[in-house]
Amino acid sequence: MSLKTVSGNSQSNAMNKGSSGLYSRIEPYLLLLPAFAIFGMFLFYPFFRTIYLSFFLTDKFGNAKVFWNIRNYADLFKSASFWTSITVTVKFVLGVSIGSLLVGMITSLLTADEYPGATFAAGSYAMPVAIASAAASMAFRMIFHPTSGLVNNVFGTHINWLGSPEWALFSVTLITIWLQSGINFIFLSAGLRNVPKELYESASIDGANYFQKLFNITIPSISPTLFFQIVINIISSFQTFSQIKILTQGGPGDATNVIVHAIYRDAFFNFRFGTAAARSVILFVIILIVTLIQFKFEKRSVNY
Amino acid sequence: MRLTFARKRKLKNAGLMLLNLPLMFIILLPLIYTLYISVMPADEIYDNVLIPSAISFDNYVRAFTNPAYSFLGYIKNSFIISLSVMLGQMFTCSLAAFAFSFLDFKGKKLLFILVLSTMMVPGEATIIANYLTVSRWGWLDSYQALILPYITSALGIFLLRQHYLTFPKELREASLLDGCTNMRFLYSVVFPLSKPALGALGAYVFLNTWNQYMWPLLVTNSDAYRTVQVGISMLYDIDAEALGLMMAGVVIVIVPSLAIFVFMQKQLINGLMAGAVKG
Repeated sequence: MSLKTVSGNSQSNAMNKGSSGLYSRIEPYLLLLPAFAIFGMFLFYPFFRTIYLSFFLTDKFGNAKVFWNIRNYADLFKSASFWTSITVTVKFVLGVSIGSLLVGMITSLLTADEYPGATFAAGSYAMPVAIASAAASMAFRMIFHPTSGLVNNVFGTHINWLGSPEWALFSVTLITIWLQSGINFIFLSAGLRNVPKELYESASIDGANYFQKLFNITIPSISPTLFFQIVINIISSFQTFSQIKILTQGGPGDATNVIVHAIYRDAFFNFRFGTAAARSVILFVIILIVTLIQFKFEKRSVNY
Repeated sequence: MRLTFARKRKLKNAGLMLLNLPLMFIILLPLIYTLYISVMPADEIYDNVLIPSAISFDNYVRAFTNPAYSFLGYIKNSFIISLSVMLGQMFTCSLAAFAFSFLDFKGKKLLFILVLSTMMVPGEATIIANYLTVSRWGWLDSYQALILPYITSALGIFLLRQHYLTFPKELREASLLDGCTNMRFLYSVVFPLSKPALGALGAYVFLNTWNQYMWPLLVTNSDAYRTVQVGISMLYDIDAEALGLMMAGVVIVIVPSLAIFVFMQKQLINGLMAGAVKG
């Protein structure tokens, strides 16, 4: 770096043009190289590779063999099990997104004030965020155990929660609500902290009760956070895999075969990598649409 | 007047505490119940005994000593992988964030957009292609397969860049006047000042890697490279009857996750918040 060009009054953005050596010109790219090498190898390449494979018939090692045009997609759209998987996923996503938002909302409202024990309660409500979905699945396997589990013991029921077509989806949805409640709590609590206290004070003077304040002040004030959190919930529940793989393997039948599990089943049990790739592209498109909707509505839904 | 106000407040606090109790109980229940089953004598689990007659740590002893289970190996693998991914991300993301915040170069904007665009691609959508790549290289059952794909992230670059942008301009100007090279500036000024951001990134990445399930499941076939989450999820397939042992395994792998949560809560939440710019 030569001192001459970096005289006192230089603009900060002109600084790096100070030296004209080859090294300083390529230095920024060298600094980016490690990150971009990894992105290139394990993100950009597989992204395009997935799209490519989705148009091919593959052998059981995942090599593209025959150009299949859009037949992988066409076959999927014609198959009943694909639509079952989409329906199951949508039900699951709705259940988890709404359920975990409600739990997060109630828990964050209960710990919004300061009182003895509030910090411990807040810690408990945030805790699921740290727990692995695999570990939680194993814990819930015990809770839902048909003969020795907590739920059947407490309620005196004999339901095979994870093994029956009527209850399996409900049970994995509950487990995922538990897992997701922590992040909902954390973000909604942060949102609640930003609501101006004066609003509540003047409402109290006007004689507003708790629920009037909740619906007229709190919820409108945190509506951007609520919207944002719903989007996060939708995106992350679309990506659910561990709970399903560990607890139900997508079954019984296709009752819990959410989209990521369907990808896994296609690739590793049926060795149909082309179809698995087509499903992956569909997953990507769904998440892209959710993201674009978020971008579009983000500004409009802000309500201060 | 003041007295009634104070009393009202006390009453309200007591009410809030009471309302919290059942909810806290429900949220904490899976952990409490897991711990409880793990120390229950085996026959009493099946007899649905409410209060165990004794507390037994047999399951923990078995988890670590029975040759059918390689818990110590799983824990070792997960530690090696989580630490490597964490350090790798700190390194690659620091360098990239440095370039994006302090240097000017052609294509900077485009490259940054490219970094952010990686956040829109769900990992599950590329996992099959990644599996095929790694298996073509003969990397199944290896540390590099578990570590390399994860040693950078848009989250890390974004989080560190946000932090660097808060540095006062004078800092950079002074170092340029002193003839300090970029590398030295990074090493002796930026790093020491980035401890909070690196802490947030580190806590978040370590926890996420420790908790990872799908990728380790796909790329490991042998116990030698298996990680904790895959390890415990397979206990059911080894012996579906050994419920107590399963729960002991869950407790063992949850302890490090909880430790990070309890002792690094602030950093972890900062990392999570940065992660949620994803959308």
